[in-house]
Amino acid sequence: MASSLQLQSAIAAHRFGLGEANLAVVDSDPQGWLAAQIGPADAPRGSGLLDTRQALDHVAAEREKRQLAKNPPPGMTAEQLISGHYREVIVADARSRLATAALTQRPFAERLQMFWTNHFTVSLLKGTARGLVGAFERDAIRPNIAGRFETLLVAATTHPAMLRYLDNWLSAGPDSRVVAFEARRAARREEGPRVSGLNENLAREVLELHTLGAESARGGVYTQADVTAFAAVLTGWRVARDPDPGAPVFDPNWHEPGRKTVLGKSYGEGADALRQVLHDLARHPATARFVSTKLARHFVADDPPPALVDRLTAAYLKSDGLLAEVYRELIRDDASWHARPTKLKTPEEFVVSTARLLAFGDRWFERPEANNNAAVGAIGALGQRLQAAPSPAGWSDRADDWLGPDAVWKRVEWATRVADRAGRIVDTRQLAAQSLGPLLGAETARQIERAADGPQALALLLLAPEFQRR
Amino acid sequence: MKRRSTPTPRVSSAAPADPARRRVLGAAAAAGALGAWSTLSFAGAAGPGGNRFVLVILRGGMDGLGAAPAIGDADFASARGPLAQYAAPPLRLDATLALHPNLGELHAMVGRGEATIVHAVGLTYRERSHFDAQQVLESGGVRPYELTTGWLGRALATSGSKGIALSTAVPLVLRGSSVVDTWAPSVLPNPSADLVARLERMYASDVPLATALERARQLHFDTAAMQNNDDATAMTGYGARPGAFVALAQRAAEFLVQPAGPQAAVLEIGGWDTHANQVNPNGALAGGLRQLDAGLAALRSGLVGGGAWSRTVVVVATEFGRTVAINGTLGTDHGTGGVAFVLGGPVRGGVVADWPGLARSQRYDGRDLRTTTDLRALLKGVLADHLHVASRALDAEVFPGSEKVKPLQLLRA
Repeated sequence: MASSLQLQSAIAAHRFGLGEANLAVVDSDPQGWLAAQIGPADAPRGSGLLDTRQALDHVAAEREKRQLAKNPPPGMTAEQLISGHYREVIVADARSRLATAALTQRPFAERLQMFWTNHFTVSLLKGTARGLVGAFERDAIRPNIAGRFETLLVAATTHPAMLRYLDNWLSAGPDSRVVAFEARRAARREEGPRVSGLNENLAREVLELHTLGAESARGGVYTQADVTAFAAVLTGWRVARDPDPGAPVFDPNWHEPGRKTVLGKSYGEGADALRQVLHDLARHPATARFVSTKLARHFVADDPPPALVDRLTAAYLKSDGLLAEVYRELIRDDASWHARPTKLKTPEEFVVSTARLLAFGDRWFERPEANNNAAVGAIGALGQRLQAAPSPAGWSDRADDWLGPDAVWKRVEWATRVADRAGRIVDTRQLAAQSLGPLLGAETARQIERAADGPQALALLLLAPEFQRR
Repeated sequence: MKRRSTPTPRVSSAAPADPARRRVLGAAAAAGALGAWSTLSFAGAAGPGGNRFVLVILRGGMDGLGAAPAIGDADFASARGPLAQYAAPPLRLDATLALHPNLGELHAMVGRGEATIVHAVGLTYRERSHFDAQQVLESGGVRPYELTTGWLGRALATSGSKGIALSTAVPLVLRGSSVVDTWAPSVLPNPSADLVARLERMYASDVPLATALERARQLHFDTAAMQNNDDATAMTGYGARPGAFVALAQRAAEFLVQPAGPQAAVLEIGGWDTHANQVNPNGALAGGLRQLDAGLAALRSGLVGGGAWSRTVVVVATEFGRTVAINGTLGTDHGTGGVAFVLGGPVRGGVVADWPGLARSQRYDGRDLRTTTDLRALLKGVLADHLHVASRALDAEVFPGSEKVKPLQLLRA
């Protein structure tokens, strides 16, 4: 009979972390082990990583190369100029992200980083964000996961990747100087203006996906008028087309003059209004509830216990949105430690936890992508192409959306591939017991015991409900 | 049908291909800001040679007035500005309406009387959230999240049909049928039957995993021969390549023409959220329309070749249309009313639209194309006339509380 402490260690490692090959690392104090991890996420591993400034420069250089490719200079082909454009940057980002997660001793912090990166999704499926997603994660998310939600919200909203992904860099106040200038230029040349007014995309998604939540729109907490007014507040927050080092992200020429009313409160003209609106949004009770619900859903259950959500919401409001306090409440609450894992791992969690289970080092993530069981490509094949969430809502956090028969089948295929090699050198029976502890069920243990060979035993462990769920 | 026989004053011409006084609009959609991707799902084993149904979901909110411009509406050009300019002339359907120039194949289908354009169509949901609107589009409800299964799944369940999805995940619209399969091309080798048998024993206490594995096993062992060659593998790994939707449409046709094939298929294409730079002739909208058009043509071609086009109806729908007026960044923001297409051998062809007009006072909230046709009326008409779903089931189960939404008659008698 497992002691409840052993069970708690296993839950800490798997539900709140990314799995451990041996639960001994959790030691005798599972809650303390998690609490000690609360703080900014680890510095990312790997080389060739660009910071935001460098990433913007790279994007600008790529654009120049494409221009040049239209009319290649002597001795060069268009293909030489544009081949391999963003791929190196994106692959370096993805390998760094996975290696950091696979090797970290603070897996709870890494899970929180993954949660927030998904909450504030920036996806390369939109070309304007390509090449900037990794820098966004490293510069806007990682340092800010345990501070105030407001800090994280400001960092994410004003990061060039977000401003480009949700079109704000192109949005101009209808009465702004740039619109007047564009109108005159266009009239002179007898063509249409390139910018003439607002684009509401970022304003709507900040309200719906990042702060108040869609429930608030349905409940009338905010309306179309608030979206439009907030879009006017956001005008001017952009990234120059040809970024100049040190150039401010806010350009007053694009900003809509005059005061704006958002959620019944009036805000002045200028750059500072955005921070004030975000300050107020971060303290809104609907934001507290929305963020708490998403956290509870991510860690505890697809439909989390309402009482747990209430307690997280209370912790959020009491601490003025200090995320570290919300996390402490989460790991303190009995409802978070229920014995039966129901959450299905995402493909990324599955691949990373496999790497941790089998102690694959950095080098595993450096494998060429032509290799089918290389990590980056594998996660894409399993349905979660890194940096490429299908919409600003990010990847689903519900098991139903990952449980399509084909999705499960692809997990079987990939686990078979991995186990074919690794299963010959590990003792899966021992590994299962050391990693899962009291979570390991009798039927799974029996199937592993009876496996035809080492690879099959390991495939069974990787595909066991106890390893697929957390 | 009343709507067809009493055109509104603003758009009054008859479709050239049809003596009935139907209005013909342009079809198709915009590809957009979030980048194109596509998936395919199937549902339901039908009786041999039975009717087939295909739903194409355009995720992101296709700009109905970009795909099917009302170029004869007096307010169209002024509201749209540069968006009313096309790299090539729009494909005229009548004095008022046209299709985007990249929708040549669809235009030809309208000309042959095989495609109907339904304009100013939309959901009763009007709040302009992608995610809520898609939930309503697929669930068949009125408010987001009041229903947790999909209208197509429930419609198939009334006849005991089972489902298969040709994508990694089951789309909401198909949930609710007794069984839904998913299928997508794979580049990895098949696991051994022995391993799968052991997994089935191990999953005895985990019903969701067991169910998914069982469906996948049948599907993959049954269709192993079909997996080997294929452009559709472009859908895996690093994501969709151009042409992936066409390959999926071809694959959909291959499944649908089989005598014991699925009754319904669901294809999805993303990338229609064209907030910016929609005017670009090489941009996402133009590219998305081109891909959609080619995919619909490939689907038709495969179904014709397999003898199933004459018993297939295809519905193309999106979660909402976009603003009538151009926004500040040469794009359009989220709106409400939009356009849908219905095509296939049994379709009457032409245009169905109770045209609301584009003047500011005629718009919904002063900004969107006003919805004058409930999308459920279109869907109910197709489900009733083509899949023979009983009207009581349509009113109560498939689209609960929709008694007052009268089915459109879109198919030949």
